[in-house]
Amino acid sequence: MEKILLPDIENLHLIDVYISNGGYEAAKKAFTQTSDDIIDQVKKSGLRGRGGAAFSAGLKWSFMPKTTDKPKYLCVNGDESEPGSFKDRQIFEINPHQMIEGTIITCYAIGAKTAYVYIRGEYHKWIRLLQKAIDDAYEKGFIGKKMKETFNTDFQCDIYIHKGAGAYICGEESSLMNSLEGKRGYPRVKPPFPAQNGLWGCPTTINNVETIANVPKIIEKGWEWFSKIGHPKHPGTLLFGVSGHVNKPGVYELPTGTLLTDIIYKYAGGVPNDKKILCVIPGGTSMPPLRGDKLEGVKMDAESLKEAESAIGTGGVIVMDEDTDLVKVLARIAHFYHHESCGQCTPCREGTGWLEKILKRILAGNGSTSDLELLITVANQIEGNTICALGEAAAWPVKYMVERFRYYFEARVNDEVSLPIANKVHSMRETSYPLADVKK
Amino acid sequence: MPNIIIDAKTLEFKKGQTIIEAAQDNGIEIPHFCWHPKLSVSGNCRICLVEVEQMPKLVIACSTIASEGMVVHTKSEKVIAAQNAVMEFLLINHPLDCPICDEAGECKLQDYAYKYSLGESRFVEEKVQKDKRIKLGPNVMFDGERCISCSRCIRFCDEIAKDPELTFVQRGDHVTIRTYPGQEMDNPYSMNTIDICPVGALTSTDFRFKARVWDMSSNKSVCVGCSRGCNTDIWVRNNEILRQTTRYNEKVNSFWMCDHGRLETFKHVNAESRVHYPQIRKDGELVEVGWDEAFSEAVSHLKTFPKDQIAVVGSPFATCEDNFITAKFAKSVLSTGNLDFIRHTNPEFADDILRNEDVTPNTKGAVLSGLVPSQAGLDINGIIKAIKDQKIKALYLIEDDLVQCFPELESSIAKLELLIVHTSNYNSSTNYADIVFPASTYAEKHGTFLNGFGVLQRIRPAVATAELDRALDGMNMSRLDKFGTKFDSWAAGKKNEARPTWKILVSISKALGYKMKYNMAEEVFSDMASSIIELKGIDYDEISESGVQLKVEDNKTVNAG
Repeated sequence: MEKILLPDIENLHLIDVYISNGGYEAAKKAFTQTSDDIIDQVKKSGLRGRGGAAFSAGLKWSFMPKTTDKPKYLCVNGDESEPGSFKDRQIFEINPHQMIEGTIITCYAIGAKTAYVYIRGEYHKWIRLLQKAIDDAYEKGFIGKKMKETFNTDFQCDIYIHKGAGAYICGEESSLMNSLEGKRGYPRVKPPFPAQNGLWGCPTTINNVETIANVPKIIEKGWEWFSKIGHPKHPGTLLFGVSGHVNKPGVYELPTGTLLTDIIYKYAGGVPNDKKILCVIPGGTSMPPLRGDKLEGVKMDAESLKEAESAIGTGGVIVMDEDTDLVKVLARIAHFYHHESCGQCTPCREGTGWLEKILKRILAGNGSTSDLELLITVANQIEGNTICALGEAAAWPVKYMVERFRYYFEARVNDEVSLPIANKVHSMRETSYPLADVKK
Repeated sequence: MPNIIIDAKTLEFKKGQTIIEAAQDNGIEIPHFCWHPKLSVSGNCRICLVEVEQMPKLVIACSTIASEGMVVHTKSEKVIAAQNAVMEFLLINHPLDCPICDEAGECKLQDYAYKYSLGESRFVEEKVQKDKRIKLGPNVMFDGERCISCSRCIRFCDEIAKDPELTFVQRGDHVTIRTYPGQEMDNPYSMNTIDICPVGALTSTDFRFKARVWDMSSNKSVCVGCSRGCNTDIWVRNNEILRQTTRYNEKVNSFWMCDHGRLETFKHVNAESRVHYPQIRKDGELVEVGWDEAFSEAVSHLKTFPKDQIAVVGSPFATCEDNFITAKFAKSVLSTGNLDFIRHTNPEFADDILRNEDVTPNTKGAVLSGLVPSQAGLDINGIIKAIKDQKIKALYLIEDDLVQCFPELESSIAKLELLIVHTSNYNSSTNYADIVFPASTYAEKHGTFLNGFGVLQRIRPAVATAELDRALDGMNMSRLDKFGTKFDSWAAGKKNEARPTWKILVSISKALGYKMKYNMAEEVFSDMASSIIELKGIDYDEISESGVQLKVEDNKTVNAG
C-alpha cells in the first residue's frame, strides 16, 4: 500500500529530491483555487486531527473568521510530548518539506500570514533538520517574499520554528499559545476558542504536524482518493509508534482501521520470547489501556477504538508482556502526569500528586483494597472538572487500568489495613448527599 | 432583559454577564475562590462548577456567559460531587493550621469547608511541603503551604496596582508564588492582596498574630490619609486599633485602599503621644487639670483680647461638624473674622489609582462648613503674617500643627500671649500652648467628611473615650466587648478623656455666655443641613454607609450662620 507521509524515497528530506518527486506541486495547484475550495476539499476528505482528539481538520479551519482586522496565525504542533509517541520527528527527519508544503497550503486556506512550528526543546536534532528544510524552501521561493513569483499569487506567508522549554503541557494547544507568547505554559479557559481568540488575541488554528503533512497529498490527489484510504470515518494512514515489548519497535505508517494484532505481530515482529501480552496502551499513555486478552479484532482508528472503550490518541502503541509489573507501570505513568501538571487548576494540581502517592504506597506494599476504590474516585474527581484535557490524561490511565486489571491490583494490596480515622467535621450544608462513614 | 433559570428560579440578567454575575446580582452566591468582580477571570479554582442543561460537562460559572433561557443547576448531585471533589483536593495539601492562622474566622476556605465539603478527608499521604514565611514585600508575608494558587494576588498586581510583581513558579502541586527575580512587592497597594487572598497565605506583617478576628470589633469609617476618603473598617480589641481594612464603595474606592492608609493613618490613636487630659501651662510646664478648670482658664484669657488680635485656625483633618462649630465659635462667639485652615498637599503622594494630592480627608468639607475668613478678616497667609508682626496676640489652633507646617514661625508663636490648642497628640505646637484640650481622633467620634470628589461620608467611633459608651453610642462590639465585664482586664482597655472639638467649643461658648444646644454630632449636622444649601435635606441616615454625592463647586465659599 502507498505511504502518504513517509514514502520509501531516499534522501526525500533534500529539497531537490522532494521537488523531483512532485514536491510543492500541490501548493502551486492550491494557489489556483480559492481558500474556501481548499477548506472544502479537506473537509470532504475526512482528514481528522492526528494530535489526539481526532477532530475534523477542515471543520476546524472553517471556524476561522473570514473577515477580521486582526492578523491570523497557524500553529503547527510538534511538541510531541505524550509518552509512547514519537511519530512527528520521523516527519521532521524524513519528509520535512511535505509538512512545510502543508503549512503553506493551510496558511493560504485560513488566511494566515505567519505560521509557527512549535517543537519540543529536546528535539535539538530535528529542530536543526527542519530549520534547514525551511531555509531551503525560503531560498527556492516557496515561502516568504519570493512566493509571488514562484506561485504567481499575492499571498505570502512566513514560517518560524519555536522551541519549547520542556513542558508536557505546552503540547496542549492553548498553553502552546501562551508559551509562544512568552508566558507561563498555562492552558486557557475555553471558550473563547483559538479561532476567535488565539495567539495574541488573534484568530488562530493549531494543527498537529502529522495532520498538516497530509494536506499536500489531499490537494494533489483529491479528497476522494484520500477518503477511500482506511476506515471511512477516519480515513488516511496513521503513523503508529510501536514501543515496549515487541521485537521490532518503530514507526509504522499504516491505513487507519488496521488490526492492532496485525500491528504488533505482523509489522512489529511480535513479542520477544513469544510471551503473552498483558496490556496494550493504544495511543500514548493517557489513553485507556486494553487488556491483552481483549485485543482480538480491535482496529486502530478513532471510531473502532471508541467501541473498544479506548481512544486513538497519537497512535503510540505501547505493548506490555505478561511479566510486566503493572503497578509499577501505572505508578510511573501517574508520576509523569503529576510531574507535568501545570498546577493551574485545583483538581489536576492536587489530584495528580495524590494518585501518584497512593500508587507509590501500593507499590511499596502498603496498599489496601480500599485504596483501589480511592484511586478510581480520585480519578473521577479530576476527570471533567479541569481547565484542559490533562485532567483526563492523568485520570484515564489510572481509572481504566485499575478497573480493567482489578484482579492484578487486588493481588498486590492487603485486605485489611488500619488507616487513621479521617478528619471529620460537621458539614452544615443543606443536602441529602450522604456523608461517608467514618472508617473504623 | 433576558432571563436565566438558576435552581428553578427565573432571573433577569444583563447581556454579557457570566452565570456567576447574573446569580450574584440576584442574591444567589455561587461559591468561588479565584473569581473576583474587579479582576480578570482565571477559572482555576473550579469550585464554581455548575450544571447547565444541554452542556455535556459541568461548566465554571465565572467564565460561562449567561444566555437567554439557560437552565443552571447549582445544587444538583453532580455539582455537589464536584464541589466536594474540589474542596477535598484543596484541603489535602493545606496545612489545616486554622488555630494559629490569622485568616481563621474570615477565611473562605474555612467557611466553604463547612458549606461545600463532605467534612472528611481520605488523604493519608504526606502533605507537600512548601516555603513558608516568605516576605514578599515590606507589608506582606507569604505562606506557600496555605496558598490555594487562585492567582488573585498576581492578577491584582497586574491589573489594579499596575505593577506586575508576582508570578507562579514551579509546577503541579509544587506551584508557589514569588516576586520576579530582584523585585519586591512594594507597590503602594500591596496590602489589598491580603484582603482578597481567600486563605491565610498572605498576611500583614503589621497585623500578623495580633488578634483573632472574632475578638475584634469592626466599625465602619473613612480613611483620613488623603482626600479620596477610602471606606474602611476599623478593627479594635481592648479599645486599641489593631488594623484598618478597606470597605467596598463603588463611588469612592471600589474594593481597594493604599498601604499608607491602612498602616499610617491610625497609629496616632494608639500612640504614647496622646494627650489624655486637658492641660494648663503653669510655671512654664503643662499641668493636667479637669475640664471645668481648663474651660474657665480659656474663657478668662479669651475675654481679655480685642477681636482683631484673635485668630482661629481650623482643620481639614477635623469633621464638618467640628469645623462648622469652629466657624460659628470664631465669628459669633469671638466675633473675629480671622479664620482659615492650613492646606496640606503633597504632589508626590498622588497617583492615578486612588491617592490624591490633598493629603487631608476634609479640605472641601472645611470650606463648606464655613472655615473661611470674613471679608475684613485674615486668611491663613494673613494670619501667619500677623503672628510674625505680633499683631495677632491670641491664637486658637484646632487639630493641626502650625509649628511643624511653618517652622520659621516657631519664635513668633513662642511670643504669642495666648495659644489654645485642640489636639489628639502632643506635637510641635503644644510645646508653646498655654491651654491644651485633648481632641478625639477620627476613630473616636461621629461626624462627616466631604472628600475631594464631593462625596459626603460618615465616620463612626471605633475606639471608646470616656465620653463614649460602646452600647449607647451605637458602636459595633466584638465577642470580648459583649461578654467581658469591667473586671476583665482583657475587655477593658484604656479610655482616653478626649472629646470631639465641636463639643469642647460648645462648652467654652457656653462659658462665654453664648449658648449652643448640641448634644450629638447629628444635631450639629442637622443644623448645617438647614443653613448650608448643598446639604439641604440630607441627614445621617441618608449618608448611611456609602455616602452621598454633593454638588459642590471647587473653592466655593459658604458663610455659616
